[in-house]
Amino acid sequence: MSLTDIFAIHPERRYIMFGGKGGLGKTTFSAATGYYLARQGHRVLVFSVDPQASLSDIFQRDIFGKGPVEIMPNLYAQEVDADGRIRDYQEEIRQKIRDMYQLDKVPDEIEQYIQASAAEPAMEESAIFDQVVDIVVEGDYDYYIYDLVPLGHALYYLSMASVYDAWINKITALREEMREYDRVAAVMKREQDLPEDQILEELQYIKGRINAASDILTNKERTAFFFVLTPEEMVILDTQKAAERFRKFDVPLSGYIVNRVLPRELIDSDIPDFLRGRIEMQAGRMEEIARLFGSEVRACVPEFERDITGLDMIGRVAAELFPPPEGRAVV
Amino acid sequence: MNAAIALILGLIVVFIGYRFYARYIDRSVMRAQADKMTPARMYMDGVDFVPTGRNVLFGYQFKSIAGAAPVIGAIMAAQWGWLPAMLWLFAGVLFIGWVHDYTSAMISVRSEGLTFGGLSYRLISPRARGILLSFIYFYLLLVVSAFGAVVAKAVVSTGEAVVGLVVLTLAGVLAGQMIYRWKRDIVLTSAVTVVIAVGGVVAGNFLPASTFLGAFAGKIWVWAAFAFLFSYLGATLPIWQFAQPVNYVSFYIIFLGLIGGMVGAFVGHPKFTLPAFTQPVIAIGPIWPMLFVTLACGAISGWHSLVSSSGTARQLERETDARPVAAGSMFAEMMLGLLALVAASVAFAGLPQFGAAMQAGGAGGVFASGLSKLLGYLGLPARVGATFAAVLIIILAITVMQLVLRFMRLATAELVGERMPAMRNVQLATLVACLLGMVLTLSGWWQYLWVLFGGANQLMASLALLVVSIWLVSQRRKATFTFIPMLFMFVTTIGALCYTSYNLLSKVSMSVAGGGELTVGAAIGNALMGVIAIFLVIAALFLAYDGSRALIRLRTSPPTEEASAPA
Amino acid sequence: MTNSNDPKPDRPPRRGLFSAFKEFIYGMAAHDTTRLAMKTRASMEHLFILITMGDLLGVPILPPYYSMRLLPYVVPQVATWKRRMLREKDLTDSLA
Repeated sequence: MSLTDIFAIHPERRYIMFGGKGGLGKTTFSAATGYYLARQGHRVLVFSVDPQASLSDIFQRDIFGKGPVEIMPNLYAQEVDADGRIRDYQEEIRQKIRDMYQLDKVPDEIEQYIQASAAEPAMEESAIFDQVVDIVVEGDYDYYIYDLVPLGHALYYLSMASVYDAWINKITALREEMREYDRVAAVMKREQDLPEDQILEELQYIKGRINAASDILTNKERTAFFFVLTPEEMVILDTQKAAERFRKFDVPLSGYIVNRVLPRELIDSDIPDFLRGRIEMQAGRMEEIARLFGSEVRACVPEFERDITGLDMIGRVAAELFPPPEGRAVV
Repeated sequence: MNAAIALILGLIVVFIGYRFYARYIDRSVMRAQADKMTPARMYMDGVDFVPTGRNVLFGYQFKSIAGAAPVIGAIMAAQWGWLPAMLWLFAGVLFIGWVHDYTSAMISVRSEGLTFGGLSYRLISPRARGILLSFIYFYLLLVVSAFGAVVAKAVVSTGEAVVGLVVLTLAGVLAGQMIYRWKRDIVLTSAVTVVIAVGGVVAGNFLPASTFLGAFAGKIWVWAAFAFLFSYLGATLPIWQFAQPVNYVSFYIIFLGLIGGMVGAFVGHPKFTLPAFTQPVIAIGPIWPMLFVTLACGAISGWHSLVSSSGTARQLERETDARPVAAGSMFAEMMLGLLALVAASVAFAGLPQFGAAMQAGGAGGVFASGLSKLLGYLGLPARVGATFAAVLIIILAITVMQLVLRFMRLATAELVGERMPAMRNVQLATLVACLLGMVLTLSGWWQYLWVLFGGANQLMASLALLVVSIWLVSQRRKATFTFIPMLFMFVTTIGALCYTSYNLLSKVSMSVAGGGELTVGAAIGNALMGVIAIFLVIAALFLAYDGSRALIRLRTSPPTEEASAPA
Repeated sequence: MTNSNDPKPDRPPRRGLFSAFKEFIYGMAAHDTTRLAMKTRASMEHLFILITMGDLLGVPILPPYYSMRLLPYVVPQVATWKRRMLREKDLTDSLA
């Protein structure tokens, strides 16, 4: 089944993700898929949280930290400035503390905590995933194409999601038990009203967010996840392992896309040995890919003569990714 | 002497002490200031350090210090005649009692709410805290055994109290549900459970323990076991299900009984039937030193500085509240002891009957008879009154026993928890404490047990006064008003402990040598009592030694302002 | 019993005395229960703060982005929490 078919048959799969090792073409394919879907008339948002700003490069526009930017009709791109978001968030928290307690400035040890926790690696990840939830929940796009940060973080977040959920349940239970004793004291003093426990409300909110983020990654009906790989030994091995781990987390895998395939026809021309060698190696790898992943390979995209930047090149990649059902040109 | 006159005399003493002496010390020596920051206002953690109004705190402190001890002690002291007991109540509270309670609270307030342990560490020496902790464990053991004996003897002589006790306990558990689970209005809960409890007490009149237990109802070991089992449950079950709500309901029973007794004493103003003075030396021993440790709470008690003062100090809104709260409660407790003395002095036809009642039911039994007579002037039938009063004194004692067992468990964990991890187990530590307590309760003469408890209690008080004196000297204030009482208590209690210990141990050695008047169990119990007494004396001497060195050091060093002197 | 010896309140005497009496009864009957409730709750709150701010101690229990969200609500407790944690405690503290 080709990529075109997949999208045609499953229009409900609105969260598209391309994953795989860095540099293999995830961003390219995210952009190309967005291009194709936009041309089909759907509103598409391609977004990335990679601080290396590759979407800006590929669309040749500076969109970092600027919210959704229209690239062409129906196609929007957004690059999330995670660090900027964290800084703004810190200031929001500070302001909230100042307002709640009528302070001029935040107490020193609290300020230390705010700065220390912002420096934690986990802070960036959790901020990123919170942004994802925001973007997906608030937007009104038909499709969301999410260019994943390198594999490890997503898996970490997935593995932690159920742990976080369990902890939140425990903490909520603890908080409710504390409230019981507040009630006992109120009974003894014959007090009527007990102020709402705002922390309980916050805990509910947090639980919702964490679950929403994890849902986006694992919802079988609405998520389509594609692994990008190239016909190279190490890449194939890594992809296999990663796929296995994703399966364990129940992330619905919709297929594999092979990138940077050197055209077979070249073999017949007069080419240098090194090139011939590479083509033959790739042939072997392609057989292995066919063997390992079989019918789940959705597309094979050739190596282009230049790097993919700008809408024209993106369009050409899209044509390779989404061949028309009867061979008719679509783009 | 007349009951009403005695109470009026007490009120006069309270007035004089509170209005003149206490106020003088509060203003001129301690220099309490209303606008100075207290730990409660400074730390305000919503848990320990919560500024609380002085009326509430007065009630809280009073309830926390008032127990069975002023009652039992006063009645036992009446064996020398009502006059020495009364004089010691008045003089004790006036010169020592309120001083101790008030100063313990004040120095805690001035030291960020430090408790006794922390203060002795800081003011005496680092090892003082360790010695204090071991002292506390044996002190607690004596408390639980002495009170266990009170309960056992009281039930033996008033079997009708048992049903009332059981119903009271069930009412308490119900109150726990109503407060904790169902969150009912507290007035409703209180009314319902108190009515049930009183109903149980009245019903007990028709169902004395002998109807259920036959001959066992008369055995003292049965009721000692009952008391300890009850306290074991109270100390190990979750506090919210058992101990706390049962205490809650008990309070109303106690309060009603005591107020009723006070009022009845005025209404009926019966004459005293006991002689003003019997003889200088009675079975317990000579009037000095023994009177002063027999009648402890009500005159002066170390329990207060351990349990009440720091908790209260952490809630004081203003320094100037310390006088009404801490000194005031102590004066109020004296009145409680006085009431017990009055009850004992009017209960019977004369001294011989009093003596017989003491033999049969101990001081608790005497109190039951006395209070019922006073309540009788309000129209309460004598039998109901007696049962009610018996339940009152029993619950008063058992409440303390539960608390003490909890503390003993904590003390065990702290003292030996490192070397014997098994003793950190809640059930085991409590069980060990119970068993030790029962051994003492059953094998010693209960009057000696009481004297030992009193002695330990007073010794604790002198140590507290020592700590206060050291603090005062470190602040360059006059410490005479604490130092002299401290000396008096110290010498008296050490004398009493040594005297008692000597008697106990010589009895044991005579028995071992061939006199044979003691059973093995009794011999062990007595020996244990004697040894504990000696241990307490030695610990106190160590603390006194370290304390005097601290004092000398302070006298010769430059003045420090409000800061603590590093130990 | 000794209420009459307290300095008179400067409110109208009848109301003042009655409310003082009510406070006295509450203090005797119920205050210790209230204190116990507060202490029980506080021990849970310590646990709560430890769990939510635990990443300070290297124990990531909640994502830091979210635990920071809870921070404003526990600001007053953090200071007292630290003090309680660090304060030296012994047996006589538990009796207080």
